[in-house]
Amino acid sequence: MLKENFKDFFETLKKLGEVHAPVRRGRLFSFTKVDSPGEVALNYNRTMLPPKKYFVKPFEEVLKIKVGKGYELIVEEPKSLVLLGLHACDINALRVLDSVYLDEPQDDYYQVRRAAAIVIGVSCEPDEYCFCKSMGTDYAWTGFDLFLHELGTSYLVRVGSSRGESIIESMSNIIGEPTKEDFIKLRDLELKRSRMFKKILNTSLLPDIVDSLHESEVWVVFSDKCVSCGSCNLVCPTCRCYDVTEKVELNLQEGVRVRRWDSCFIRSHALVAGGLNFRPTRLDRFRHRYNCKSSIDPRTNLPFCVGCGRCSAFCPAGIDHVNVLNAIWGLA
Amino acid sequence: MTGNKIKVGFYSLTGCAGDFLNILNMEDKLLEVFKLLDVVEFALASSKVVHEKVDVAFIEGSVTTQKDLEVLKKIRENCNVLVALGNCAVWGGVQAELTGLDAKDLMKSVYNTTENYYSFLGEHKAVSEVVKVDYELPGCPIEVEEFLELLIDVIRGVIPEFKDYPVCVECKIREIPCLIVERGEACLGPITVGGCKARCPYYNAPCIGCRGPVKEEANVAGELSMLLEKGWKKQEVINRLRLFAARYKDIAKLLER
Repeated sequence: MLKENFKDFFETLKKLGEVHAPVRRGRLFSFTKVDSPGEVALNYNRTMLPPKKYFVKPFEEVLKIKVGKGYELIVEEPKSLVLLGLHACDINALRVLDSVYLDEPQDDYYQVRRAAAIVIGVSCEPDEYCFCKSMGTDYAWTGFDLFLHELGTSYLVRVGSSRGESIIESMSNIIGEPTKEDFIKLRDLELKRSRMFKKILNTSLLPDIVDSLHESEVWVVFSDKCVSCGSCNLVCPTCRCYDVTEKVELNLQEGVRVRRWDSCFIRSHALVAGGLNFRPTRLDRFRHRYNCKSSIDPRTNLPFCVGCGRCSAFCPAGIDHVNVLNAIWGLA
Repeated sequence: MTGNKIKVGFYSLTGCAGDFLNILNMEDKLLEVFKLLDVVEFALASSKVVHEKVDVAFIEGSVTTQKDLEVLKKIRENCNVLVALGNCAVWGGVQAELTGLDAKDLMKSVYNTTENYYSFLGEHKAVSEVVKVDYELPGCPIEVEEFLELLIDVIRGVIPEFKDYPVCVECKIREIPCLIVERGEACLGPITVGGCKARCPYYNAPCIGCRGPVKEEANVAGELSMLLEKGWKKQEVINRLRLFAARYKDIAKLLER
């Protein structure tokens, strides 16, 4: 697809649903509703919040309460959504979330939104925080409908689903046949990209290394720097913990059950009935997060960390995920 | 309880009365709120002072004078549930910033007298330093939305939610650019308890910690070394930390040196 056709491509997508894409806000980017193709910033490094915000909302009402009478599900009408411009890491992260939220018992709130979302990926180049290549998540082979590979003046459109196939079938006037030169260009650019990664993490045996070096002084050094702000959890595309609370109206008769994003750096995350906290200190929580992110999702065989670099880029204390793990490897 | 209503008192110690003002200012909700309450005393709304037993006592202000101390002890004896509202009652307020300074010097510099004529205790204490507190709601002033949630929980006999997440959580959810990461500001968001929906960072102003530290959790040493790395001077950071939380143990320690 020639870049000059992107405008028509965008207008066609708008007919399929509300289009959300990365938009520049000052120095940062955010997935936001877009109305015109000019607003879309496909050449972006990373958004602060990952696409998970569309499927597990930061704050949402899940049940209506009638005191003394019971609960009523709040069912949302499915709304068609086109998520345009996801990087490979974020697509792989959605696969991890899918395996958590769509596995038995299925989370209906998630499922309704996920089924109504068309995912269109876009190629990218790593910056100083990216380490998806080390995690094996720099390539999206499934989990999307279409994927745009930038080849200078055009995009090579890769199809990832039958839905994606039918979308481009309706766009034969916008998307032409790729040429042999396009494929050569794709190969060369991908090799170039592969060589651009500066952050390298050794991931073989990583879950076992992190777990077995539980007593390492490295955890103490970094958890002393950590200010427990929870930012790393909130910006993480695979963090999936939530908290549930209830709010009752002043009439004392009605209320709502609310679920909201949680963070394992917050005290109440590991506080259980009876007052026991099974991760009482910042050190426990810090180590826990690295254990969690270094492990592998048994359902997808994908790592629980996709190397997007958000936790490092948005940490106020400047703690870099790869630097911590490299210190555990004895490399720092 | 009288009928369906719970008996409550709103008591002021030393402070600006801003928390109670905020409650009285929620005019669209007041009629509904007072349907649930039998108010025996409300410092800012009426000059009536009674010493009646109540189900719940709401207290604002710091324990600053001998009178505060005596009134507070009496209130505690007369109530089942005691709730401290606002930064003064929870942390001693901005006046507690003077912790450690000589009371006589302060009296002299402000009133030009050495006489302690309003029986100043010499320091400004949080309510919990003097009597047992059941629940605390921080803020300078409190957020009325949080007050209503707490009130409803207390009426229903449910333990109110104790917020233990910092301002950063609410900042990230609103996708506000981090003032520390992007601009190197001396923002206290990481150690300050949330609930304000990151109002100040949203308007590009760093958090000054008016809601007080995340209790038992705030990593003051980490915040300090983070800001030193950003180029702030130690005294500048300490001045900011002490403004609303001079009596938080780790900040009090910094002030001793």
